[in-house]
Amino acid sequence: MAQTDTLLRYRPWRGVPRGPLAASAALARASLKLLVRRRLMWGLFALALLVFFFFFYAQYLVVWITNQLATETVRFAGVPVSARNLTRFLDRLALNGTAHTFGNFVWFQGYVLVIVLALAGSVLVGNDFAHGSLPFYLSKPIGRWHYVLGKCLAVGALINLLTTLPALALWVEAGLLYDWQTYYLDNLHLLAGIFGYGLTLTVSLSLLVIATAVWLRRTAPLVMVWMGLFVLLPMLSGWLVDATKYEEWRLIDLWNNLYLCGLACLSADHASVRPQPQPAYWQAWLATAAVAVACVAYLRRRIQAVEVVL
Amino acid sequence: MALIELSAITRTFGAFTALSDVTLSLPPGRVGLLGPNGAGKSTLLKILMGLIPPSSGTGRVLDEHLGGDRDAEGNWRLRRLIGFMPEADALVPGLTGVEYVSLAGELYGMPRRDATRRAHEVLSYLELEEARYRRVEEYSAGMKQRAKLAQALVHDPAVLLLDEPTSGLAPAGRDAMLRLVNALAVDHGKSVLLSTHLLADVEAVCERVVIMAGGRVRGQGTVADLCARRQDRFRLRVEGTATAEFRAELEGAGAKVLGDTGPGEWRVAVPAEWSNLTFFRAADARGVVIRALTRDDETLEELFLRVVGSG
Repeated sequence: MAQTDTLLRYRPWRGVPRGPLAASAALARASLKLLVRRRLMWGLFALALLVFFFFFYAQYLVVWITNQLATETVRFAGVPVSARNLTRFLDRLALNGTAHTFGNFVWFQGYVLVIVLALAGSVLVGNDFAHGSLPFYLSKPIGRWHYVLGKCLAVGALINLLTTLPALALWVEAGLLYDWQTYYLDNLHLLAGIFGYGLTLTVSLSLLVIATAVWLRRTAPLVMVWMGLFVLLPMLSGWLVDATKYEEWRLIDLWNNLYLCGLACLSADHASVRPQPQPAYWQAWLATAAVAVACVAYLRRRIQAVEVVL
Repeated sequence: MALIELSAITRTFGAFTALSDVTLSLPPGRVGLLGPNGAGKSTLLKILMGLIPPSSGTGRVLDEHLGGDRDAEGNWRLRRLIGFMPEADALVPGLTGVEYVSLAGELYGMPRRDATRRAHEVLSYLELEEARYRRVEEYSAGMKQRAKLAQALVHDPAVLLLDEPTSGLAPAGRDAMLRLVNALAVDHGKSVLLSTHLLADVEAVCERVVIMAGGRVRGQGTVADLCARRQDRFRLRVEGTATAEFRAELEGAGAKVLGDTGPGEWRVAVPAEWSNLTFFRAADARGVVIRALTRDDETLEELFLRVVGSG
């Protein structure tokens, strides 16, 4: 009885409190915990993993076929086929450890990424509005921007988990498939480019996710707007470019802008970017920066108003 | 050191004045903040937590100055001294009880390990130890309220600001919550500012009360003093056959019988120039015996209605 009484006694805490940046990290960790507890999220992670495995094994397959069967003819479903033709359909993906390998990987991973981010936005920010969690966060000794930073860190971790990390794995694999002693040294700029691409995606997409989630709050409208941004706008921009032959129309396609920024980070030749014509790299940077600044401005305006939530 | 000192605090939102010329000096202890909806309680709480600055006036909470932007470092320091239990649900669905309280600890600046350990301790103290690994959205109303109290308590604050802590609770849960709040204040020296519109909660917990209405402080002081402040009410118990005549004699002398509280028991309001000898003279004249004559203090409810109504 005495022991129970001691255990249930209220005990004071006399530690030294840490700064608000540590609180942002805690907020990001809790946010990631919330995300990984969603079954749908695991389904999407599996899909993203499939895209990665496709690139991983296809890159291996291309090198293996080129080295082992380059001049041979193999029988495929009873039909003799040149070994080279077996991998020709992969040519467009440029699975050869160059800038376009990583650019293409992130491009395809983007289809899963945008769905993941739409869901993440509604879970991480929309739920805070829907369930009245904001007073919980904002009554603590942190600034409003620390709240935004914590959420952005969580979204950034997701983005890097789906893009930068697997792209790094592809870079390592490419080095092992080719002459690793020269590949790694000759392609350090690609390594830096992958990090640069990841950073660009992290900053721009996390701000966009948080801003749209603060705006829309609920999953269904969030997914619709997100799909509009990343499905309808690319289609529209393609039609407009085809109709007007004016490549600047592609700047309304946010994902294409990010792709161009990524290829710029990876030092890819602008003329090799497909489809052509494309706006200049600097124009893509400018458009991406403008979207990020607009998101920051919108968030700033919205969080000035959060004092009324308590 | 005073718990709260406010001097002529005013807060306006555009043309609307939410708080007007609020001056308060409250010592540490259990303070009730009473007022109807729109009285300015929530605005006052926000100012006390440094979430919004006052439009004019100055103030201090435990020697921390009020004012400046909510993100100013002084206001972070201030919020570290305070544990706030909001009226809104304020839970994070998807987190377990211990994760929720531990996250609150980390947001208050506690190292992760301390926050987790402390979350277990506080949840045990608040009798939520069996539910600490359940998700907070699955909690009952009473458990949710205790989880909210736990997140306010995790960093061991000197002051607890409780906004309607018994809101939505069944009588048993309400009693349990009030016992907890009392124990925290009495046994562990926490200062409590209890904002509510439930007078019984204030009566059960608080030593002092601040009554607000229309953005102004209408009355403040200890509950006993405020309720005993009126000198013009008496509770009278008489015996005899001519009590009706005695009553008529009193009314003829200017007293007003407010109501019967039992056979021969009345509550009487008397005019300002009244002398208590009048009771005895009238009783003598009518042949009744006065068995008891006590000052009839106001209940908190009567006080509240009078003070708010007079505004």
